[in-house]
Amino acid sequence: MIEFDEIEKRMLLKLVYYGPALSGKTTNLLRLHDLLERNGRGDLMVLDTKDDRTIFFDLLPFFLETPGGLKIKIKVYTVPGQVKHDATRKAVLQRADGVAFIADSQLAEAANNVESFSNLEKNLAIVGLDIENLPLVIQFNKRDLQNIIPEADIKRVWEPTGIPVFTASALQGWGVIETFSRLAELTYRNIDKRYGLKNNYGLDSETFLQKLTRKTEGTGYI
Amino acid sequence: MEKSKTESQKIEYIVGTEKGLKDLLSETEVMLLLKGVVKAGAASAVITDAKDRVLWSNGNMQDDSPYIETGPVYLEGELVGRIKVYGEDRSKSYLKNLTGLLLDTINMIIHTNLKRMLTTEAHTTIVNQSYEELLETNRKLSLSEGQYRELAESLERKVQERTEELRRAHARMLQQEKMASVGQLAAGVAHEINNPLGFISSNINTLKRYIERFREMVDFYHALLSGGEIADKVRGLAQQKQKDLKIDFIVSDADELIKQSLDGAERVKKIVSDLKGFSHIDEGEEAVVDINTEIDRTLNVLSHEIPKGAEIIKDYHDLPGFVCNPALICQVFLNIILNALQARTGTLKLVISTDIRHNNIMIKFSDNGKGIPDNIKNRIFEPFYTTKDVGKGTGMGLTVAYEVITAYGGTIEVESQPGEGATFIILLPAKRL
Repeated sequence: MIEFDEIEKRMLLKLVYYGPALSGKTTNLLRLHDLLERNGRGDLMVLDTKDDRTIFFDLLPFFLETPGGLKIKIKVYTVPGQVKHDATRKAVLQRADGVAFIADSQLAEAANNVESFSNLEKNLAIVGLDIENLPLVIQFNKRDLQNIIPEADIKRVWEPTGIPVFTASALQGWGVIETFSRLAELTYRNIDKRYGLKNNYGLDSETFLQKLTRKTEGTGYI
Repeated sequence: MEKSKTESQKIEYIVGTEKGLKDLLSETEVMLLLKGVVKAGAASAVITDAKDRVLWSNGNMQDDSPYIETGPVYLEGELVGRIKVYGEDRSKSYLKNLTGLLLDTINMIIHTNLKRMLTTEAHTTIVNQSYEELLETNRKLSLSEGQYRELAESLERKVQERTEELRRAHARMLQQEKMASVGQLAAGVAHEINNPLGFISSNINTLKRYIERFREMVDFYHALLSGGEIADKVRGLAQQKQKDLKIDFIVSDADELIKQSLDGAERVKKIVSDLKGFSHIDEGEEAVVDINTEIDRTLNVLSHEIPKGAEIIKDYHDLPGFVCNPALICQVFLNIILNALQARTGTLKLVISTDIRHNNIMIKFSDNGKGIPDNIKNRIFEPFYTTKDVGKGTGMGLTVAYEVITAYGGTIEVESQPGEGATFIILLPAKRL
């Protein structure tokens, strides 16, 4: 749910990385932090973790200003994936403007993906968000591992739903920006429809994406 | 960051509320640093917001300070303020390093404080949310516990109700069984009585004719005796004999005796026919009748029985047609109305109402008579039970009513308080199968 202050010309967006435990949500954010230019984004805020497991959430903020003087802050959150932290997931999911679902490609994790996705559907309903109208992308992470679900199977299952699906290895750094860009693009489309970002503030989709995903000079994939 | 004053756009985030520099830096922390910078050799040190408004400052603020070193303060990627360090031109490189140090320290404090605040916020939110969820769960549990308790309580009540219902049904069944055997007996007795009753009536009628003839003969003798050709002695003897034998009285009394005998026979016949009616209620032609019309018809038949000044109040509602033997249903109404007429203590007031109640036709007769005492309430439908003087009632009226109504799948009940009249309530199924 976009927070928009017309007088101060400020807009606050919230994107949430959802998914089962250990599917690489924090790694996605870490990678975004490393790959994207420092100008226009804040530091990655990793709230207290225990044994490298997220308890509360991680937060990567972005900030950009349009030619029309509109200031847009985009906060990208991760949720804790462990089942027991459902209350935290609900709190973080509140008022989200877009969701990236990070699935674990390992065959052994298939059931956890399904369970987590149902949990997402359930919690979206609880916090009053409509999954049909919410920008949503799916990333099958950990493509660098063995014993993973074949890409053909992913396509067969997800293509009919119309939800954009990406494959990635957050560890190796590929597929991460693509996932984020698409989520940002869908989110832009939603806000533009409501607030006329292009007409009123001179911000088109390309500029929006370009400002958000400027890569650090000389940084390639690891 | 300052929030807009417009309420419509103001949205409270549950987690991750926007923070400004003033929220993230405390006076104590900042002033300690600024004082430190001044102590280290700067003329003054200032922190401004993004629009160059001074938030905190320390040292000797002079407009003509010769040298300014500045550095931007970022919060979540957004420029939110600047630090400015004033000093002598000759300490330029020293001040530059000092400014760098101050900037790093401020950024570190901002980061640490933001992290602490977010953690606290998340923690508080989640604890509150979990607490509210627990409260809600508790509320739901209490509610369902309440429902179960209510169910348990009402179960007991329902068992009692059902037990009472069964008890009544059992009593009714016994009553019906009794009625049935009495009915068979009555039918047999009625048949047996009818034959001798037939010749008794017929013989009395014949006897009546014979006595007419005897009287004619006696009258003839009278006429002869009063003539002149008969010897006085014979006349005297005949007159004496007539007197001794009380012939005059016998002649006049015979009529009365025969009339009473014929009346008695007629009454026996009536009782027998009632008995037959009561044991053969399934005979006769059935038709669709309007109960309201049938009640009116019964009242018309009774019109000569209803005393002057009696008040009959009709409260009829439209009723569906009812399939029955019209004569029998009229008999029921007749018996109940007669009962009311006979039970009256002063001026009769009879309220007759009809209505539809839960798919039943409901007919109520409320009188203002002497009512029915509790101890005989359950006996009034028994055959031959009567409170009237011997010879006045057969004790069959309400029995017939009961049998007719139950044969049509209905019920008849009486509500009464002694001295306050009685109400007969008849329920007939609107759709008889």
